Amino acid sequence: MATADSARLGADQRAPRRWFDRWIARRGPMRPPLTLRYRQIFILPTRFGWLLGLLMFAMLMGSLNFNNNLGLLTTFIVAGLASNSMLIAYRNLDRLQIQRSGAAPVFAGQTAQLLISLANPGGRARAGLEIACAERRQTFALPPGGFAEVAVALTTHHRGWLQPPRCRVQTRQPIGLFQAWSWFWPERPVLVWPQPADHPPALPEGGADQDGRQDQRQPDGDEFFSLRGWREGDPLHRVAWKASQRHNTLLARDLRQPRSRQLLLDLEQAPGRDLEEKIRVLTAWVLTAHRQHRAWTLRLGPDTIGPGSDEAHLHNCLKALALFP
Amino acid sequence: MNSHQAPLRPVAWTIAAFIIAALPHLAAMPAWLAAGIVAACGWRLAAAWRHWSPPPAILRLALTGLAITLIVLAFGGLWGRRTATALLCVMLAAKMMEMFTLRDLRLVASVSFFLIATQFLFSERLLYLGYLAVGSLVATIALVRIQNVEAGETDSAAPGAEVQAIGSAATLLLMSVPVALTLFFLFPRLAQPLWGLPDQVMDGRSGLSDDMSPGSISNLFLDDSPAFRVEFDGPPPPVDQRYWRGPVLWDFDGTTWTRPFFSDTPSRQFVPEGDASLTYTVQLEPHERRWLFTLDYPVRGPEQALITVDHQLLSRHPVTALTRYELVSNPEFIDMPDLPEGARAAALRLPEGRNPRSLALAEELRARHPDHRDLIAAVLSWFRTEEYFYTLSASPLGRHGADEFLFDLRAGYCEYYASAFAILMRAAGIPTRVVTGYQGGLWQAGSDYLLVRQSDAHAWTEVWLEGSGWTRVDPTAAVSPDRIEQGARSVIDGPRHRLDLDWLQTLRNRYDRLQHMWNRWVLGFDHDRQRQFLQKLGLPDLSTERIAALMLLVLTLVTGLVSLFLLRRARPRSTGAVDRAWHAMLRRLQRRGLRKRLEETPLEFAARVEAALPAHGGAFRRLAATYCRIHYGDQAEHEADFIDQAKGFTPRRA
Repeated sequence: MATADSARLGADQRAPRRWFDRWIARRGPMRPPLTLRYRQIFILPTRFGWLLGLLMFAMLMGSLNFNNNLGLLTTFIVAGLASNSMLIAYRNLDRLQIQRSGAAPVFAGQTAQLLISLANPGGRARAGLEIACAERRQTFALPPGGFAEVAVALTTHHRGWLQPPRCRVQTRQPIGLFQAWSWFWPERPVLVWPQPADHPPALPEGGADQDGRQDQRQPDGDEFFSLRGWREGDPLHRVAWKASQRHNTLLARDLRQPRSRQLLLDLEQAPGRDLEEKIRVLTAWVLTAHRQHRAWTLRLGPDTIGPGSDEAHLHNCLKALALFP
Repeated sequence: MNSHQAPLRPVAWTIAAFIIAALPHLAAMPAWLAAGIVAACGWRLAAAWRHWSPPPAILRLALTGLAITLIVLAFGGLWGRRTATALLCVMLAAKMMEMFTLRDLRLVASVSFFLIATQFLFSERLLYLGYLAVGSLVATIALVRIQNVEAGETDSAAPGAEVQAIGSAATLLLMSVPVALTLFFLFPRLAQPLWGLPDQVMDGRSGLSDDMSPGSISNLFLDDSPAFRVEFDGPPPPVDQRYWRGPVLWDFDGTTWTRPFFSDTPSRQFVPEGDASLTYTVQLEPHERRWLFTLDYPVRGPEQALITVDHQLLSRHPVTALTRYELVSNPEFIDMPDLPEGARAAALRLPEGRNPRSLALAEELRARHPDHRDLIAAVLSWFRTEEYFYTLSASPLGRHGADEFLFDLRAGYCEYYASAFAILMRAAGIPTRVVTGYQGGLWQAGSDYLLVRQSDAHAWTEVWLEGSGWTRVDPTAAVSPDRIEQGARSVIDGPRHRLDLDWLQTLRNRYDRLQHMWNRWVLGFDHDRQRQFLQKLGLPDLSTERIAALMLLVLTLVTGLVSLFLLRRARPRSTGAVDRAWHAMLRRLQRRGLRKRLEETPLEFAARVEAALPAHGGAFRRLAATYCRIHYGDQAEHEADFIDQAKGFTPRRA
């Protein structure tokens, strides 16, 4: 549910959280492309770090009390180890570049793959890096001067723009005592298409008959579909003279698909109890129409998209459906 | 992330860290317990190798409970540091049984540091610096390997990974030394312990005990470990004056000499400094008791100690760590010119019904020598002229110990002589007390210090004489002057044990000089030495707060320097193996007069090479194409082939 929560981040954040976000944002840029520097890198001991701290305190007190110098030396070596491991944890993130992030649109309910591109401009390998986004973690490593594309799965629930939650790039190198991390907001929101209805009714064939408006808009007869080789029996008016001349062969207009076969997918006409259900049905229809290579027009309230049958049209329709208020 | 089962290598390193850290502890605990702990480790290793699952919780619990019960039984229910560390080892071994997650591994690896530190409560000898170094290195490697697994490195079984882990652990550790040293020298030391130390810690650490029963088994004479070391401000005193005063024993119950009820009473006598005063510094090895050893008679001792009515120097707390104290002694002081009645009574008391023959002898002597001094001389000459032997392998004594010794056995070591002599003296009406401590010591000429070993332990007597107060009389010296002149070792025939060889002894003496330096500069560094050290650096007497502030300042500086090193920017190196091979090839072509211009792409250059060297051009063009694919494509599998072929590419002039 973290994704759903963070999708509504802007709306119902509590005051401390908002204050914290602003404070983080003030410390440096938060959206890729960005290069992590000391203002954006935070470090805190891990649970194991606290445990070792406790152990160190016990060693310190015991050694001081017994005035045991080798015991003290051991304690201080552990202290030095801890301080170095803090520096190395920092070093592992310092100057790391988060170049861009994005995810291909998915249908609601599917998992979006948020791809985050990172680069290591330095000459030192960075091992044990991790990206944590909404409870999902993905470990990766960067060779010197290398690049990595890390995919983090995002669960989607609702159609519309999904703002990925604030993500962390973090590391617990070299011995897991400290966790260094930086926050960033993925650059672009992810488009989540509506979930297609599972068992949509058949496509509304001849939808024009229902209100007659379709005839008004396209009064003339058969619609041009494609060109094909002239066959015997084709009427003369079907011959595409100019095209035939260009191609040195007789071509005819293929009018096999009559205008009434063109689909009008209208939100108002779609079956369903509520808006969401209607949108899901429309989505399924749009997909079916595209699969069957049929042209369709999508009408969402006052807006009309199409007609069309290609990929771009499909995406336009899906986007419009996703974002329909 | 913590839930998946830990792979073999981190487990192996963690167990290695644990075993190394526990090694001295294992050596000190009962063998069966140590064997059990090692067995648990072995089982864990096999489990990691064979992918066994952890034993059921009931079994683990039962085993742990059993082990704890056995510890309680083995240590006799006494709660000492050895018991505590043995318990810790057992708990860790039990943890071993269930450490199937990375978190458990981390716990064991980090507690290894704690185990190392606890060992120093028992010994801080120079040798243990190596133990500290190796132990922390292995524990750090274990932590690095565990982190590798957590970071999802799948190739952690590769041979290079091991070397890399060792390297990064060593760097981490080496880089921690500056911080550690800063803290070590500047961390404010306590002038007194935070909490009271137990008076009796049942660790069985060898040292002088607070009582003396002649004939009870004494291992001290076989123990060559150092008891303390002394540096003198002037020349050292002559050998026959090196009597290191320890517990003074007044009460005798027939078998055992013990300290009297008043032995903790502070002295009311003021010991002035005299012409013959000696100033010296003693570095006392921890012996868990409160007494500090001095030459007769301490004028003043360290702040944390008191001088008792019979001139013992008592520390306020048991000496549990190497302790350094400065002393002034005046050997010419006359102790108690007048003997109070109570003290006289205490110094004459003898148990009823013991040693009738000795008492009879004393009375006979008394009759013959009315003067105390004559009587003492007579007894000493009797010891000298009669057949009395000094030996360390003396028989135990029965009810009438002094009788048995004086008339039947006639062989024993210092405690026999001191006890028998004191009984004779008391029976003859001369107030006498027994003093235990150390006698002699080895003068380390090169380093100018006196090394006193446990085997130098000694017992002698003090008699009270009109006019000279308490006077030291050492009956052992009458029997065996060598013992006094050359130390206990000289009077033993043959080696005491197999390794008792002369050259080894010499080596030990040399090693002790190193140890002495170590003690002086590292172990003896306490509250006072810290202040001295800072004063030597030109800093005035600083309060604890100021020292803490100074520590933070220097620490910031040192950490800054360390971070400069650790965070230094590594310039991006594009010279992977592929690039190295490519550039070597370009250099070879350059020798043939073909130099790749900066603006040329590899393929453009290849075309030019093909024109100039038709025999090799084709091969080079293919290599250049592969090079481009490696760089701009994703065909990593070409790399090895490319490197091989590039190495074999040797252009010759057509």
